[in-house]
Amino acid sequence: MSDVALSNGTNKGYRLPERFRPIVDDTSCKRCRRCVTECSYRAIDCVGDHIVATDGCVACGRCAAFCPTGSIEIETIPNQFPPHANFTERIRRGIMSQASTGGVLLSSCGTDVEHPVIFDELLLDAAQVTNPSIDPLREEIETITFLGRRSGKLTVSEKDSFSFISEIGPVIAMDMPLMIGHISLGSVSYNVQKALFTAAKELNIVAGSGEGGLHPDFYVYADHINSEIASGRFGVTSGYLNKVAAVEIKIGQGAKPGHGGHLPGEKVTDLISHTRMIPIGTDALSPYPHHDIYSIEDLQQLVSGLKEATEYRVPIGVKIAATHNVAAVSSGIVRAGADFLTIDGFRGGTGSSPRIIRDHAGMPIEVAVAVVDRRLTEEGLRNRVALCAGGSIRSSADMIKCIALGADVVMTCTAVLIAIGCHVCQQCHRGLCSWGIATQKPELTSRVDPGLAAMRVKNLLSAWNEELKEVLGAMGIDSVESLVGNRDRLRHFGANPRIAEIMGVKHVGEGWG
Amino acid sequence: MSGLQGNPISQYGLLRTTSPRTIPERPTGSPATRPSGLGYQMGGCGISGCISTQGRGISGESISRMLTTMSERENGLGAGYACYGLFPNRRDEFCLQLILDNEESKCAVEEFLKEHADVTKDEKVFTRKVRTLSPPYPLVWRYFVKPAEKREWRGNSNLSEEDYVVKLVMHINREVEGAFCVSSGKDMAVFKGNGYSYEISEFYDINRYSGQLWISHSRFPTNSPGWWGGAHPIGILDWAVCHNGEITSYGVNKKLVEMAGYVCTLQTDTEVIAYTWDLLVRKHQLPIPAAAFAMAPWHHSEIPRMDPNSGLLAKALRLTYKEAFLNGPFSIIVGRREPEITMIALADRKKLRPLIVGTSSDRDLVFAASEECAIRAIDTQADTWTTNAGSPMIAQVGKGVVRQGVEPPFSGVVR
Ligand code: SF4
Ligand code: SF4
Repeated sequence: MSDVALSNGTNKGYRLPERFRPIVDDTSCKRCRRCVTECSYRAIDCVGDHIVATDGCVACGRCAAFCPTGSIEIETIPNQFPPHANFTERIRRGIMSQASTGGVLLSSCGTDVEHPVIFDELLLDAAQVTNPSIDPLREEIETITFLGRRSGKLTVSEKDSFSFISEIGPVIAMDMPLMIGHISLGSVSYNVQKALFTAAKELNIVAGSGEGGLHPDFYVYADHINSEIASGRFGVTSGYLNKVAAVEIKIGQGAKPGHGGHLPGEKVTDLISHTRMIPIGTDALSPYPHHDIYSIEDLQQLVSGLKEATEYRVPIGVKIAATHNVAAVSSGIVRAGADFLTIDGFRGGTGSSPRIIRDHAGMPIEVAVAVVDRRLTEEGLRNRVALCAGGSIRSSADMIKCIALGADVVMTCTAVLIAIGCHVCQQCHRGLCSWGIATQKPELTSRVDPGLAAMRVKNLLSAWNEELKEVLGAMGIDSVESLVGNRDRLRHFGANPRIAEIMGVKHVGEGWG
Repeated sequence: MSGLQGNPISQYGLLRTTSPRTIPERPTGSPATRPSGLGYQMGGCGISGCISTQGRGISGESISRMLTTMSERENGLGAGYACYGLFPNRRDEFCLQLILDNEESKCAVEEFLKEHADVTKDEKVFTRKVRTLSPPYPLVWRYFVKPAEKREWRGNSNLSEEDYVVKLVMHINREVEGAFCVSSGKDMAVFKGNGYSYEISEFYDINRYSGQLWISHSRFPTNSPGWWGGAHPIGILDWAVCHNGEITSYGVNKKLVEMAGYVCTLQTDTEVIAYTWDLLVRKHQLPIPAAAFAMAPWHHSEIPRMDPNSGLLAKALRLTYKEAFLNGPFSIIVGRREPEITMIALADRKKLRPLIVGTSSDRDLVFAASEECAIRAIDTQADTWTTNAGSPMIAQVGKGVVRQGVEPPFSGVVR
């Protein structure tokens, strides 16, 4: 939640109450002042011989994590507002902020509003008696996953020998049904992007470049990079497009459907200005639509143009935010020639987004991926493309359920940032990230060691892949492709059977078929 | 415990029985009507098949002996036989064999067929009362048809003869109450029902028929709708499939065949397997070993062991037909009429269900079965061998065993 800091004198007396407060144990504190240096929000200070809380704590936890004596706890301050179930504290803070500033409220990360999470209402199946489970410790379970176009039909003949005329690809093979989503250089630091690309290369998966071009230092990772072409076209050159593994046209992002990228000027440093090809300190505001795409035919032209530019060597994808007509739009995108299609659910993360859009627009990825998978099947198109899905994939359980609902590849962003240190304090748009992630300030970015961060991302995603194998084995499936869209292996265990019906998932208690 | 005093628990009120009929009572219903709310059917099974590669007639008595020998593999809830080379005088006409609840459903089918096809002949299929098989019995009728001159279906004109017949069958099975078309190929028919293999054999008097290829199936289902249509073999056009297994990828495979226009009415993985064969081999013209590889592929990690061109074909098949991959345990025996009478025997890529094949000493007969006893029951001298996981044995009339099921998937691939 972004509570705009109020310094304007005319707003005296309308100050927003603090939400969090570091509590320092004065007896065990040894006055080393480490917390004061660590806190990029200046929410803790040394007054006389005591460490005290000042204002503006965002509960990022950096101070507590680095206190050598474990003397700090972060407290959520209760009872700042009289209770009211309708005018919640969140609503009242929003009103007060806007009354002071007259502006659009900004925030970051995925929405923190308590919408029901459908993933949590889905249960997985397992094999018993009539089919054997498979032991992933003793037998191979395949998780190799392809991203790209499929022809749907092969021409093979057998006279004296086999011969085949094939039209395959362009397609890339990854070791896991996972990709790291688009986290741009600018929204995060150089060190973070380096860590993500290193991890992707070592895991043999792809990572998104995010909007804003590719830093020349990262060309060495190009064969594991899914490069984004967004409406701003910042930094796009055919030079690196010809090196990357895949290219993705970004129409929309789950956290802000209908919006363009937004990088605040404070984050546009020399490094970013070079990569994005924009002046230092200017806000990088991408147009809301692509101004050369006002219709599906226009998209088809851009897809073809990119295929020409990359000589049909790499798969060209299209990413859209999950909005209410997602199934029909997806079918159009496949017909327009996309080799892969990425759907981003409304809970997806962002480095900066208007709160009104982030919290209220779009739809959950669970439903979106299921309806898109079904529509593409009904139209006989599903075996032509790879379907990627993301938008708050928090764990391997979410990933597995997302695959069973129809995704070939699952995309994750926030989880890998948490692996690097992010505490989801939702302050990315302020550029002060104390964990050195969503910031460009050198004293903060140096807090991320790219080697260590890459290792942590690798650990996380390999663990997820191992858990995927455990589940596949338990289901009696020895290759992940046999789970894609296999809704029969899911059951809904929740309050709203209509959701299950729309997703094509049966309720618990119903058998197969 | 006082009531049990001095009475060993093992004898207390328990009767011993050696009758196989202790469980379960067969539910009675309308044999041709798909029970409402019928869920996915699964279970274990016995399968057997026998082909004369020299095109001689094999009596129904032989196949019946093969199947009934494996009595451990059935529980009286479904069995069936498919016979090829059955109508030498009408081998160019499609034979639609139906099970019907009553005269009314028969009239409805005939009315529909009159409008959509040329029926050249129809006849009652011989059936008789079986003492142990409780009624109601279905009416079984067959129609020899030629597709109508103008093959148009809901605006889709110029369908091939086969595609048109598929549409006819899908329509009957979905829309005509009390009627179920069990087979629709040329020169072949399926005889099946809800009972033990010996009961179904007696009901149809299987011994009266003789054919160049027989495949057969008995069931041990874990659920038991009293529905004759759900028994195996399951056929579409000239394909018939007998299947012992449970496909864990059913939801994925179903999508592939539905994309190609097949309508799944049976809720069994066997139905999806039959449609997959038809799609891959008839419609996409894949050679049988290539189609078998798509259904039971090598691991990606094994593909580098192939020569480069074979490896390329293997990868292309895995990528393009990943929805055709039948995951989970199965062994299947598949029959086909066109272009020559063919028997295929295939087990899953881990070989989690049994399958054994063999030939008679004169090399004329080729057998396939779940258990060796089925083969020995009719030929004590047969040479038998087991196929490799995922490798099809293929035997054809006029050609003999064209593939033993121990070879690598493809050889001599050229591009
Ligand atoms: S480091 Fe973070 S948690 Fe600690 S005082 Fe500063 S803002 Fe609060
Ligand atoms: S990246 Fe940094 S600022 Fe953004 S939520 Fe995570 S910890 Fe907070």
